[in-house]
Amino acid sequence: MTDREFFEKLAECERDRLPVCAATIVRTFGSTPRETGAKMIITADGSTWGSVGGGCGENQVRSASLKCLLVTKKPLLLDVDLTDDLGTKGGDVCGGRMHILVEPYIWA
Amino acid sequence: MSIIHTTVELLAAGRTFCLATVASSGDERVAAGTKALILEDGTVEQATGVDALDAALGGAALEVLASRRRQTREVLPGVLVYFDILFQKTRLVVCGAGHIAIPLARFAREVGFEVTVIDDREDFASPERFPGCEVIARDFVPALRDLPMNRATYAVVITRGHEHDAECLAEILKRETGYVGLIGSRRRVAFVLEMLGRQGIPGSRLEDVFTPIGIPIGAESPEEIAVSIAAELVCMRRKGPRQARALKDSIRGLR
Repeated sequence: MTDREFFEKLAECERDRLPVCAATIVRTFGSTPRETGAKMIITADGSTWGSVGGGCGENQVRSASLKCLLVTKKPLLLDVDLTDDLGTKGGDVCGGRMHILVEPYIWA
Repeated sequence: MSIIHTTVELLAAGRTFCLATVASSGDERVAAGTKALILEDGTVEQATGVDALDAALGGAALEVLASRRRQTREVLPGVLVYFDILFQKTRLVVCGAGHIAIPLARFAREVGFEVTVIDDREDFASPERFPGCEVIARDFVPALRDLPMNRATYAVVITRGHEHDAECLAEILKRETGYVGLIGSRRRVAFVLEMLGRQGIPGSRLEDVFTPIGIPIGAESPEEIAVSIAAELVCMRRKGPRQARALKDSIRGLR
């Protein structure tokens, strides 16, 4: 998904008043599957467009998104560590770390 | 209008700009998620409304735009802002819809280009041969003349003959482009460039043409040649012309 497609999708969600979360990689350390600026949209039913790297990192983003969307209703800066045991078992062996900004769009 | 809509409109208009988002904040005046849009000339298209923050964002956004690197910065004590750089997707214009054009259009699309294919032969310039691409079956010169071109336009000239190569290049080199590549043997290429020089195309513009086209990986088949060209396009987009040329030259130097 290109940036233009991402923002067009987000604008479409706004038009349809569909609550979604946007996840953006805002900082990376070491080796990561996607670069700074990679983006993903997550809906309340858990479906996604785009990618911030796949695997366990993305699962973490998905659960954080649902929490933002349904509970806190506030942005969250997520620290995704691809060096931890959980990640390694899940196949995320890139070895880096990334900060992912998760923002709920609830469209008042 | 919402900032999302403004962003979509700026992207559609081909602008390059910065979308700044507060990623986290320890300052009670500034909420996480607050956004501002800053254009390449420093104009703040949409401000946050927090004066201290807006004052800091403008300058930082211009530095980020100049660096061409998306990044997170601490712009006020305890306030981390992510600066996203947004711009129009690069368009690849392929002149000539022959054997190489098919895999080239496919690979270019997969690495994120929007692709336009032009050929004057209707059976070659058919949409079924180029899924997901804009396909124009028309004489090259009027087709090119009607296409918008700017620094986000890359052109690859791979027509079936040097007359068509020359007429395409003559049209393309009059316009602003981000990359121009010409296929062909050294002899054919030299002949075409010399002809264009005689027609009055400035030498500095002729030197911009990447030829022989592609990164030298020893490509033979149409698919291999397409990989070599696509690699050059990616290098150009990511690293710029100086490094793309240096890469070509250093590989040639290995022989």
